[in-house]
Parts: sequence; C-alpha cells; structure tokens
Amino acid sequence: MRDQRRKDAVWRFLTYAFVITMVVVMMVPLYWMLVAATLPQEQFLQFPPRLIPGTAFLDNFAALQERLDFVRTIRNSVFIAVVYTLLSLVLCSMGGFAFAKYEFKYKEPIFYTILATLVLPIQLLVIPLFLLMAQLDWTNTFRAIILPWAANPIGIFLMRQNMKSIPDALLESARMDGATEFQIFYRIALPTMRSSLAALAIILFLFQWDLFLYPLVILESADMYTIPIGLAQLTGFQRIYYDQIMVAATLAIVPMVVLFLVLQKQFVSGILAGSLKE
Amino acid sequence: MATSDETNDRVEQTYRRRARARIQSVGRRLRRAARPGWDRVRFARQDLTAAMPALPRVAYLFIAPFFVLFGLFLAFPVFYTLYLSFFEYQGVGEGSLFWIDLGPLYVEIPQIAQLNFVGLGNYARLLGNDLFWQSMFNTSYILAVQVPLMIGLALALALALNASFMRLKGVFRTAIALPVSANLVAYSTVFLLLFNEQLGFLNYVLSGVGLGPIPWLTSEFWARNTIIAAVTWRWTGYNMIILLAGLQTIPQQLYEAAEIDGANRWEKFRYVTLPQLKPVLLFVVVLSTIGTFKLFAEPYVITGGGPTNATITIVQYIYRQAFVNFNLGYASALTVVFVVVVSIFSIIQIKLGGED
Amino acid sequence: MSGINITELDKVYDSGTENVVAVESLSVDIDHGEFLVLVGPSGCGKSTTLRCLAGLEDATAGTIRFDGEDVTEYRASERDVAMVFQNYALYPHMTVRGNIGFGLKLSTKLTGDEIEAKVEDVAEMLGIRELLDEKPKALSGGQQQRVALGRAIVREPSVFLMDEPLSNLDAKLRSEMRTELQELQADLDVTTVYVTHDQTEAMAMGDRIAVMDGGVLQQVGSPEEVYRSPVNRFVADFIGSPSINLLTADVEDGTLAGPGGFAYELDDSEPVDGHERVSVGVRPEDIEVVESGRNAADVTVVEPMGNENFLYMEIGGHELTARVSPTVRPAEGSQVAFDFDEAALYLFDVETGDALKTKTDSVDSAVVGTTQN
Repeated sequence: MRDQRRKDAVWRFLTYAFVITMVVVMMVPLYWMLVAATLPQEQFLQFPPRLIPGTAFLDNFAALQERLDFVRTIRNSVFIAVVYTLLSLVLCSMGGFAFAKYEFKYKEPIFYTILATLVLPIQLLVIPLFLLMAQLDWTNTFRAIILPWAANPIGIFLMRQNMKSIPDALLESARMDGATEFQIFYRIALPTMRSSLAALAIILFLFQWDLFLYPLVILESADMYTIPIGLAQLTGFQRIYYDQIMVAATLAIVPMVVLFLVLQKQFVSGILAGSLKE
Repeated sequence: MATSDETNDRVEQTYRRRARARIQSVGRRLRRAARPGWDRVRFARQDLTAAMPALPRVAYLFIAPFFVLFGLFLAFPVFYTLYLSFFEYQGVGEGSLFWIDLGPLYVEIPQIAQLNFVGLGNYARLLGNDLFWQSMFNTSYILAVQVPLMIGLALALALALNASFMRLKGVFRTAIALPVSANLVAYSTVFLLLFNEQLGFLNYVLSGVGLGPIPWLTSEFWARNTIIAAVTWRWTGYNMIILLAGLQTIPQQLYEAAEIDGANRWEKFRYVTLPQLKPVLLFVVVLSTIGTFKLFAEPYVITGGGPTNATITIVQYIYRQAFVNFNLGYASALTVVFVVVVSIFSIIQIKLGGED
Repeated sequence: MSGINITELDKVYDSGTENVVAVESLSVDIDHGEFLVLVGPSGCGKSTTLRCLAGLEDATAGTIRFDGEDVTEYRASERDVAMVFQNYALYPHMTVRGNIGFGLKLSTKLTGDEIEAKVEDVAEMLGIRELLDEKPKALSGGQQQRVALGRAIVREPSVFLMDEPLSNLDAKLRSEMRTELQELQADLDVTTVYVTHDQTEAMAMGDRIAVMDGGVLQQVGSPEEVYRSPVNRFVADFIGSPSINLLTADVEDGTLAGPGGFAYELDDSEPVDGHERVSVGVRPEDIEVVESGRNAADVTVVEPMGNENFLYMEIGGHELTARVSPTVRPAEGSQVAFDFDEAALYLFDVETGDALKTKTDSVDSAVVGTTQN
C-alpha cells in the first residue's frame, strides 16, 4: 500500500515536471521576443544575450513607424480577418444548416465535393487565383484577399456536423409558431450554435491571420500590407533592424491573444462536435 | 467558521438575486417604453414575410452564397490549375477567348493568360528535376519527424492536464496553447534569432552547460531540425486543446470499469483512452499532416530554403517557380503532383485510422 | 363547429430507392372539443398522422379539414394549431417569457403589451409565473412540460396536437400531469389529438382512442369499447395491462383444444362455425383460480401487488397471466386449476386476426355512460 503511494507520488512529480518544462519551452521564445522589443539594437545583439527587459520599446516603436506604418499594417490585418471571419461565418452556417437540416437533390454529392477540397492545400489555388485577380483587376485589393477563402470547406463541414445536433422538434416548433425558414435559421438555429460559432471564428480568424503566400502575391503597395507581409518586408531591408521587428512581432500577437483568451472555452466545446462524428 | 461562510454566501446570493431582479425590471420598463416602435417594426416585417412567396427550394437558397464563392474561387482554380499544367505560360492574357457582339449586347470572356500547349512536358520536366526531388525529400523528412513528435507531445500534455490530481489546469493549458497566437512570420523571425549561431539564446544556454555551439542554421541536418522545432513549438498547444477536449468526452465509467478489472495505468491508456480518442486523434493527425505538407513561411523566413536547399519545401519550390521565375505552367504541374501526393497520404491515414 | 375530418389520408415516404408507406387510407372524424388519443406500437404511423395534421408533413393523398375547411395544402403556421413535442422543444436561448411569447410575436398583430399580458395570464394559469425570466435549462422536467403547454395554450389554437408529451416524466409526475392535462383540455374546450405508445395513458386520457398498426387505423372507439370489443387480435393484445392471454386452439365439435391439454367446451359454438383453428383470448382478470376449474396450469411466479396478486402460470409451454385476489396465493411450482366465464372469452380468426367473439358479459351501465360520446 505504501509502495503504491510512493509510486503515485513519483508519477505526479514527473507529470508536473513535464508540464512545467513544456510551459517554460513555450514561454521562452515569447519572453525573449518581449525583451528584445524593449532593447536598443546594439544591446540586443550583444553576447551573452540580455535577459532583462530594457526601456527602449517606445523608441523602437517610433523607429518602426517611421520605416513602415505598422499600426496601419495591424489595422489592415485585423480589418481583413474580421470581415473575412464574419462573412465566412454567415456563409458556412447558412450552408451547414441546409446540409444538416434539409433534404434536397444531390445533397450528398455536393457535400462530399466540398469536403474533398478540405484535403487540397490552399497554396494550390494561389496561381490560378493570381491570374484570375489580375484579370479582374483586383490585385492589391482587400476583396481579393477576403472573398476567395470565404467559402471555407472546414467551416461548412464543422457547421454541418454541429447543426445536426439541433433537435428537429426545435425547428418544427418554430415552424408551428409561424417562423419562416430564414427566421428559423437566425432566431433558433444560430443562437443555439454559439460555441460552435466561436470555435469556427477562431479557426477562420487564425487561418486568415496566417495567410502568407497568397497576400504576398496579391498585395503590392506598403499601405495594403498585412502583418506577415509587413514583417517579411522588414527582414528584407539591407540592414535588418531586429529591435523593430521584435516590436512588430510583439504588437502582432496582441489581437490573436485577445481573441483566443475570450473564446478559448467555446473553442474547446465547439470544435469537438465536428471531429467526433463521421 | 463554516457557518459564517455560509451566511456570507446566503447574503451574497440574496444581493445578487435582488440586483438581477432590479436590472430585469429596468430592462422590462425600457422595453415597454420602446415597444410601440418595435411593434411597428415587427408588423412591417410580418407583412413583408407574408408578401414574400413561399420558396419550395429554400435549401438551395441557403447554400447558394457559399456555392457561388466556392465555385468561383475554389472549384474553378482547381480545374484551371489542372488545365494550366499542360501549358507554358507566356504572360497575362490580353486577347479574348470568346465574344458575342449583338449591337448593344456585347459579351466578352477574356483570356486569362497567354498559353502555349506543351502536353505532358511540364510533368516530364519535374520528374527529371533534382530540386523537385530535393524538396520532396525535405518535406517528407520534416513530416516524418515533426508530426509524430508534435502529436506525441500534444497527447502527453493532454493526458497530463486531464489527470485528476493536476492543479492550475486552465493556466497551463492557456500557456501551452499561447504560441498559436504568435503570427506566423513573427514567430519565424523570433526563431531565426533564437537559433542564431553567434548571438542566439539557445547556443548561449548550451555553451553554459558546456555544449559547443550547434550550427542550427548552417548545417543541413540541424537546419531541418530547426524548422521542425519551430513548427512543433507553434502547433503543439493547439492540438493539445483539441485532444484534451476529446479526453473529456470519454465516459468516466469506462475507467472505473477498467479499474475494477485491475487495469494499470498503461492498460487503461491502451484499452480505454486510445480507442475512445481515436476519432479525435485521427482528425488531429490528418489536419497536422496536411498542415506540415503545406509548410512555407517558416523555411522562407528562418532558413530561406538553405543551406544549399536543405530546407526548401515543395510549396516553397512551387512558389519560386511560379512567382520568381514565372513558370506558371510548370508550377501548376508541380501543384497537381503535390495535391495528388497529399490526397493519397490523407486517404491512407483515414483508411488506416478507420479500421480497427 | 365540426372538429377535424381526415379522409383517406395516405403518407408515403420516397427514400429514393423504395417507397415506405407510413400511413394508409386513414379516415377519422374528430368532434369539436374531443380528446382523441392515437395509440400504437412505435412505427405504426401515429406520429406521422399527427405531423400531417400539424402541417409538418405533406399528405401524399387524402384531405384534412378543420371545422369544414380544407387545410391539406396549408402550411403549419396557417392552420391555427399548436403542438407539444415529446422533448418539449423549448428554445434553449430564450427565457420562459420569450418561449411562450415567440409564436405571438411572429404571427399575430398583438402589440408587445398585449403579448406580455397574455404570457403572464397563461403563466399564472399553469403556476409558472415566478419562472418567467428563467432559461429552460434551469427548469425541472415538470416545469419544462408546463412551459411547453403554455406555449401551445397562449396561441388559443383551434386544435392541440400532442406528441408523447408525458413520456419524459417520471411515473408519479406523469400521472399528475395526466389529470392536469385532461382538466385543462376540458376547461379550454379545444379539440385535442394526443399521440402515445402507452396504452394505459391512452385508456386513462382519451374520450376516444384510435389504435393504429402498420400505418393502418385498426379501431376507433371509447376506451371501454376497444377494451371490451376489439375488432381484431392486435387491438385486443395491445390494449390492456397485463395484456390478454392468447392461445391457439383447435375446434373439435364445439370444444377448444389447446396446448398442454387445454380444453374448453363452448355453450355457444356459433362464432367458431367453419373454423378449424382459432385464437383464444382471455383477459388476466377473467381467469379464476378455483378448485373446480376445468383446466390446470403450473404456477411459475407469484407477484403480490398488495391489492391483488399476479400469477404467472404455464400451460403446455404457453405463459398465462392471471389477476387474482390477494388471498389467492399458491406456492410457486404448484399446479392450480382455473376457469373463466364464456362471456369473457375472446375468439379470433387464426389467419386474419379478425374478432369472432368478444366480451358479452354485462358491465355496470354507469361506467359505459361516462365514456360514451
């Protein structure tokens, strides 16, 4: 009995040690980024590296703003990601609702065609989309960034899976109460899907936030840059100002952290329904 | 002690209930005041609804917006890529592919690109290209190490955080998942500096414990592993969250039953956790595999594909061909091959994972 | 006012490869203010019938009239009906107030104040006034049930449709709600169609009950009628708890010869004329355990219920159930003699199941009077 208890204690200790090590590993690059953002370039490139934050954050930020209007870059990214996420949420939840709750001709073939594109990497589409956008004269526009991925296969898949769990009786009850099909969708189905919508919002936002190759090809002028493109441009100068890059990186993390902290709970419960069935 | 706590609780609850009631009554009064206006809006909407014809094919209306964008920006490009892979690209199109001129009605479908038909020429070319094979090898290597490593870590962390004795679960979970918030290019730049040979933090720590500086970015072997480390750092927490959610759906009775049957820790994992977690695990593995296949930004920023093309990934190679050299036809052929490989991989995974 | 007329209703589901007939030429007239219970085993078409009445399913053929008006082609919201669903189908994101008022808000021209007043009245009536600002999740099963009822009542429909509304409640609450529902329905005087698979509930609640099987309406009648005079073996077997004892017996010169030496001589052999074999039915309460009994069976289990005993017996491999007085308590494993009155005997055609003879003994006329329509 005592032997077992000692074993359990060792096991607990090891588990904690493992988790805490991983937390440290995850935090070090982020901490280091923060430190680097607060040091002047000379101190930062010293060896051994400095590990205590300095006070040069605002100076570095001012220098960054002078070279590339990074506040604007963040604004562009947030604008694109927010508009994209909202638009895609509408499209995916409407489509998902139809696939989950209506019977119609060719329902299965259409759905599986959409699902098949889930496997296709988005880079596949960059070349033809670039040509298409060039033809439409949409290069260097936000709509060229937002529209193509708004019909997101992961999104419609997730919404269909989750909407299937809405009891039919709920929708029928609304139908008896005199609701139109569209009212049933937005007054009954959508409000019950809050956590799924939150999970999908994180996935969509992150997807758009991370897009690199496609905006790199489409966006041409500095005032249109998104965060990844802006950062990539900063590393492309003759002399690389790491202090400024670190300021930019630190600022760039903020919107996503906020979104993540706000929606974390729903993300956990919302994403699962989609992965568990089928 | 306990009783005074209880009293406090009760008092607090009473206050809370009263506060809520007050807010509700204010809300109700406000709503009542606004009601005549709202009623008018409501009636107008009812009339509008009544005036609209009943739509028998309402389902199609719901999927139409999605499908229009899907067709234009996803389905069309897929087919166009296939088409393009049989051509040599010469420039953005100027002429028209097709037009109808009926006086006032003039319809023109412009040519998207000027193309030269080369048949299977692009495919033949890629098979004989060393850099193509190099990029395939690099991608496969990274995939073979990174996905198992990341899923293993994510699963271990999820199990640890799911353990009944674990405290501060929420804090640990958030901390470990935080890297996913870091911007792709931003974190790649941070890693570029962390792994810097002369000035990087990592080599500083290593030299502190007496290990020589490791050529993280200049040795072919280490450069690939640096990329692996970066990707793993960012995505482990994300996958852990999904797996953790999966673990929490496993009914507790199954563990209790296993306990009664005398199962030890490993046997509980092997015979209860793994089979129950399988669908979620499969979901995570397939998405991670696809994600790593598509690796682009990390090598682009951290190693630039170097040293001597040791970390150039297939997507990076496609990017170079398409947008640096403007060999769009050839790049399309590469894309087609790439997609076929990824699809086969995913199908195999799903097939294997679906069986028992 | 003429209630509901259903004429030759058909409902066929087209699954793409084959047609599944859910309801077949069903005709029934329901009087104004009547409480009709549709009962049958699962898959018998009772819910489909109800959904056709509600307008949630389109009838494949036939007509449905409410107060003489043909509503077959009407949408659910145009039919002036309200429905209570099995799982209550309360909108989880709305308060009780929102749930009850939703239908009024969408489909009436009542002002907000009028809606508010109506919602409060109904809540008062059902005793859930203090719950108006709660979300459904915070309510008990019985309270949710009341909200679901309130949602139906507030719209003052001309027809109530109820789809197994009590099946999710525990036994005690269920019997309470049963009474309450009946009183409510009587007070409001609204024509009600009620679906259940529970024959006890059907017997207890219905003015008349309609027994369905395999998409076909078997019999409509007062509880007493379907119990005493079932039209076929299915109805006899389905109605009554514990269910009727059924044996197959050969007819030999006016005597029924069944398994395990079962023999019963008929005084009146007219019902079995021309039949070589018949199904014999005896209700458990009609079996008398008496020493002079003409047949014998082995007692397997005795279940004392307090006010009566259930005897489970075996005769030639067939189980027989008897409801006897609490004083009759034979030892398990012993053999007892039993008998029953010929007036209480049911006889059915072996092949078609059609009734050849049903109960003919007299019943207290006061009981019949209250259930007659």
